[in-house]
Amino acid sequence: MDIFYLKEENLFNFLKTLESEYEVFVPQKSEGKLRLCPFGFEVSHTEYILKEISSVDKENFSYNPYRTIEPLKSFFISTREPITEYFESAFEREQKPRVIFGMKNCDLFSLKIQDFVFLEGVVKDPFYERRRHQNILISSDCFLFKEVCFCTALGIMPYAQEGFDLNFSEVTSGYIVEVGSEKGAKVIQNNYRYFNPATPVQIASCNKKREKFVSNLNQHLILHDLVPKEIIPQIVKEGFNSGVWQELVLNCVECGGCNFICDTCHCFLLSDERFGKINEKIRSWDACLYANFAKVAGGANPLRYRYQRLRNRYLKKFDFFVENLGLLACCGCGRCIEVCPAKIDIREVLKKLAQQYKTQKI
Amino acid sequence: MRLDPYQPIPSRVIDIIEETPTIKTFVLKPQEQVAFSTGQFVELTLPGEGEAPFTPSSDPHIKEELEVTIMKAGRVTSALHSIPKDTTLGIRGPYGKGYPLEEFKNKDILIVGGGVGLAPLRSLIYALLAHPQDYKNIIIRYGARTPQDLLYKKQLSEWAKIKNINLMLTVDTADSNWKGNVGVVTTILKDLPLDLTNAVAVVCGPPIMMKFTTLKLLDLGFRPESIYLSMEKNMSCGLGKCGHCRLGRFYVCKDGPVFKYEEIKEIEDIWE
Repeated sequence: MDIFYLKEENLFNFLKTLESEYEVFVPQKSEGKLRLCPFGFEVSHTEYILKEISSVDKENFSYNPYRTIEPLKSFFISTREPITEYFESAFEREQKPRVIFGMKNCDLFSLKIQDFVFLEGVVKDPFYERRRHQNILISSDCFLFKEVCFCTALGIMPYAQEGFDLNFSEVTSGYIVEVGSEKGAKVIQNNYRYFNPATPVQIASCNKKREKFVSNLNQHLILHDLVPKEIIPQIVKEGFNSGVWQELVLNCVECGGCNFICDTCHCFLLSDERFGKINEKIRSWDACLYANFAKVAGGANPLRYRYQRLRNRYLKKFDFFVENLGLLACCGCGRCIEVCPAKIDIREVLKKLAQQYKTQKI
Repeated sequence: MRLDPYQPIPSRVIDIIEETPTIKTFVLKPQEQVAFSTGQFVELTLPGEGEAPFTPSSDPHIKEELEVTIMKAGRVTSALHSIPKDTTLGIRGPYGKGYPLEEFKNKDILIVGGGVGLAPLRSLIYALLAHPQDYKNIIIRYGARTPQDLLYKKQLSEWAKIKNINLMLTVDTADSNWKGNVGVVTTILKDLPLDLTNAVAVVCGPPIMMKFTTLKLLDLGFRPESIYLSMEKNMSCGLGKCGHCRLGRFYVCKDGPVFKYEEIKEIEDIWE
């Protein structure tokens, strides 16, 4: 597909133009200090939050160097929403198409998991399908990483290769804009005045930047000595009866934060509510760390204990999805590490399982 | 499949049968046909209150009505137990894979039920009796806590009279009128009139009963691929999406609820 160049000073105006047709979400900076990680790398504690462009002015708008706080899934499956009315069938809840700017490759990867859940199988989810069809995803390359980032350890690049409509890469005083879909091509076509064809020099500079960043991130990850992705399914499965789960779950307060913030977690709960004569089914995000997640009416609860629920989260990601989709359902975004008040760190959980696995094998 | 997979079909309760002090059968007349095959389940909605999964207990050949036998156990089932006749409930489904009747053909069929677990099995028995010449002996072993907890007493005595049915009941605790066996259901799994080399076993009941029955059947010489289990999980969406009913690499709602023991025996903690 085609590659274009957009001048830096035109970025905000371009996004603003899209407002006529779409609800446009862009990152806003929430400033934090640069700090040194334990390995001496300068890491940022600035966060980026997606806001509707109407509430963001040019000064607050920020081209995010790494992923936003919120996971991309929230644009396709709402935290809580009515999904049907009964026994009336006139229910048609339109949502204005959205443009989401600043998604990273970890988010795009995770959308593969969400697509598998909501677009494949017994039936397509009509809400997800419509939003997926109408929303525009504009991703961008990472050029800084957070301490918790570990995408490349899972074989996921810090720049988008597929699954985007448009992708932005920062180069001198502007951006290389790659078109990834028909939808993306149309957006460029309709706003052609902002774009120029990218020059080979610009493209080469973009590729060089990517290479340099990947090597930088990898150096950081080498020091973390992470578990190789190839053995993750095995150590999780073989570690079923390991004491690691009990040990690490001790501080868990069952907030469900790791589930909700996770780019690939997708579980939801249906509930029923009555509003006068109309009944609604409500769909809400659910968390497998919650005590009643698997409980049945008769009282049986296969996930009765917290350690079983922690283990369940890992089995789902590293066994269920590997078996059914051939993918590890983790994108290395590190959101669950940052959100956990008990400091349960997925990198450490896997390391402990790997250590135990090795000693058992010896 | 309907356009909106979350919208239930209005279904009028045309009769409520009190089976035991804690179990009722609801006879439902859905506005659109809900054509289920035996062993599949439906999601039953009590409008504005909640939804829960049940396997119909009625004859799958009857298309206009279906029956659901419900034990008062949790929030939704308790609320269902208090509704009057003519209430409109909602049905979504049918979901999942039911009993593979093709695989039962020309075989002896051992049916082992515990408590309200006889509900899906009744539907299976109706399906088998619709074509009795297709199957060899039907051996029914059913246990409940007390004689008054036994389901479908009328049908049980009718089935007992049928030539190729061999039926035996047991209760955990007898009363003074009880003449039958006392003990858990595994105590009546002996001297079974069947040919082990050409038989299947179908089990449905509470988790602990399923566990010990399966172990007993293996002991008796049943092969893991000849034992069919109805797994109970808290299926919420019924569509393989909401994540609640995961069992290893399966979702019970779409890959089950009926599994061969062979398919799930390597999965840890299946009896929890």
